Amino acid sequence: MKVSYFALLRDATKKRSEIRGRPASTVRDLLRDLAAEYGPNFARWILKDGELAGFAIILVNGQDVRGLQGLDTPLTPESDVFIFPPLAGG
Amino acid sequence: MHGWIGKILRVDLGTGKVSTEALKPELARDYIGARGLGTKYMYDEVDPTVDPLSPANKLIFASGPMTGTFAPSAGRYDVVTKGPLTGTIAASNSGGAWGPELKYAGYDMLILEGRAAKPVYLWIQDDKVEIRDASHLWGKDVPETTETLNAETAADAKIACIGPAGEAMSYIAAIMNDMQRAAGRTGVGAVMGSKNLKAVVVRGTGAVTVADKEAFLAAVAKASTMIKEHPVGGTGLRLYGTNVLVNILNSVGGLPTANFQDGHFETADKVGGETLAANQLQRPKGCFSCIISCGRATKVSNPKYKGEGEGPEYETAWGFGPDCRIDNLDAVVKANYYCNEYGLDTISMGGTVACAMELYHRGIITKEDTEGLDLDFGNADAMVEAVRLTGLGQGFGRKLALGSYRLASLYGHPELSMTVKKQEMPAYDPRAVQGIGLNYATNNRGGCHVRGYTISPEVLGVPFKVDKDSIEGKAELVALFQNLTAALDSTGSCLFTTFGIGAPEFAELMTALTGFAYSGDSFLAAGERVWNLERLWNLKAGLTAADDTLPPRLLNEPIVTGPSKGAVSRLPEMLPLYYGARGWDADGVPTREKLSALELA
Repeated sequence: MKVSYFALLRDATKKRSEIRGRPASTVRDLLRDLAAEYGPNFARWILKDGELAGFAIILVNGQDVRGLQGLDTPLTPESDVFIFPPLAGG
Repeated sequence: MHGWIGKILRVDLGTGKVSTEALKPELARDYIGARGLGTKYMYDEVDPTVDPLSPANKLIFASGPMTGTFAPSAGRYDVVTKGPLTGTIAASNSGGAWGPELKYAGYDMLILEGRAAKPVYLWIQDDKVEIRDASHLWGKDVPETTETLNAETAADAKIACIGPAGEAMSYIAAIMNDMQRAAGRTGVGAVMGSKNLKAVVVRGTGAVTVADKEAFLAAVAKASTMIKEHPVGGTGLRLYGTNVLVNILNSVGGLPTANFQDGHFETADKVGGETLAANQLQRPKGCFSCIISCGRATKVSNPKYKGEGEGPEYETAWGFGPDCRIDNLDAVVKANYYCNEYGLDTISMGGTVACAMELYHRGIITKEDTEGLDLDFGNADAMVEAVRLTGLGQGFGRKLALGSYRLASLYGHPELSMTVKKQEMPAYDPRAVQGIGLNYATNNRGGCHVRGYTISPEVLGVPFKVDKDSIEGKAELVALFQNLTAALDSTGSCLFTTFGIGAPEFAELMTALTGFAYSGDSFLAAGERVWNLERLWNLKAGLTAADDTLPPRLLNEPIVTGPSKGAVSRLPEMLPLYYGARGWDADGVPTREKLSALELA
């Protein structure tokens, strides 16, 4: 499973992307693993009280999980996951 | 009056007559200021069928009631005129510190009429107004013009000027203020050039008064806190600028690539905000009273593209980057510098180069046409040179200066111009994000994102998430965003404040500032009034429902690669729903009932 990070999450993980050797079965499991690994500088942008923070964006194979099953969206070893902190622009 | 100064400055450049007049309070209340009030004056004073580059067109610089106050990020003004690129009513919005200075000099608006016999500039010091010779400035770029004028007027005067592109009346010329900020869209710089007006220099020593100081202080504090504490308004824009959007748009398959032939660019990350922050960024920069600071002070040390200045914004990075299939960020930044220095709109410039690249790639134009430029997709050197030539009005740049629609039409292929109402679309593919396509098609100034930024809910999920691929509810969403933005633009506030506050907070600020009682609903109604007035102007100018469309490519040719592969815009299904949501008839004409409800009948 490939996971890519953007904006502030690159500072938190010191990575643009990584291949996860121990794939998680849902987005929730993945985020829990990542929060444990990268600490509060990662978690504060993504999770709030165990749920997806209001404006964080998680894409699985280009699809926003808010239009899928949210944190319960299933993952496979082939999933391509993109994680963005809250963003703005224009 | 409070918030508004209550005075308008009018200058006839043909006769040299300078006069002032009072602003009517009820007009100010109903049309707010800046974009709205400027449009009202244009509607009342100028025939919409006017040739935009003739002396009969007027050029209005208009601030809003919030401009120059310490409300958060409220330093903007609009240039309102008939836009030569689009033939529509134009209001190009810019930040910096010029707008506040106009108010401190004692004016809500400056109305310029006629045409000067020779190049001139206007020097406004409070109530002293001079039309001065500018023949020594004609031909000079924006930095040199600004520095020269600061030296011969006042070191702290604020300057709005045109560069060589505006002088040559390029259809994509901008008006630049404070050296680096642009009233960019619809070709307003050409109107200034047509009037032989090189610059407007302002120095003011007055102030803006407030109706209820305590209530205004409280409303400002509340709005500032909401913006700062909002996850998107408070942190990300300052760190990464607007260009942070490259990766998210690419990741959902909505980053127009190679003149909108595709919606995904493999190496987009190389021109994104993260890369800019790690390399060219020197520091974030804010406009007057800004608490966000999305501006980018940047520097390129690569000798080939060496320079220093500001930018790029997201749209600019996309236009000179993925839309031209280029991933060299140094080259992209250099192209941005040329636009700032010569006075060009970066979105239209990028879209025009991309269009020329497709013409070249398909063999419709050759090196003979481009006068030796190998203008194919991916050629960063040729892209930068094309921008330089456009700014200076040299070689093939003279044709690029027409904008992509007129360029592509010259060679018999207008369908390859990615424009709406002849204005280049920005950096969101309407096939991947349905609502933004409806906004482009119906936008009163053609291809434009900022007047109905549905990307916020459709992609970013702010303030709520909607399905970008669905057309359900998009007509109402687009109309609502267009109305809110029309009101917001008219106050002199920055659009980015809406990442933290909405209509109720604007109503609170406006009520405390002006003494007129605004509610969230009446604020939105003012926006709807402005939108409908702009529509009426455009209809009188000769535009019809047939102009509310997208390039055929976006309706018929699916995205080729990436997560939105296979998607097309469903505009034909959404457009009738939009007319219905607006209270317009099937031909897109506001009904008598709607106009009456908005007090426009």
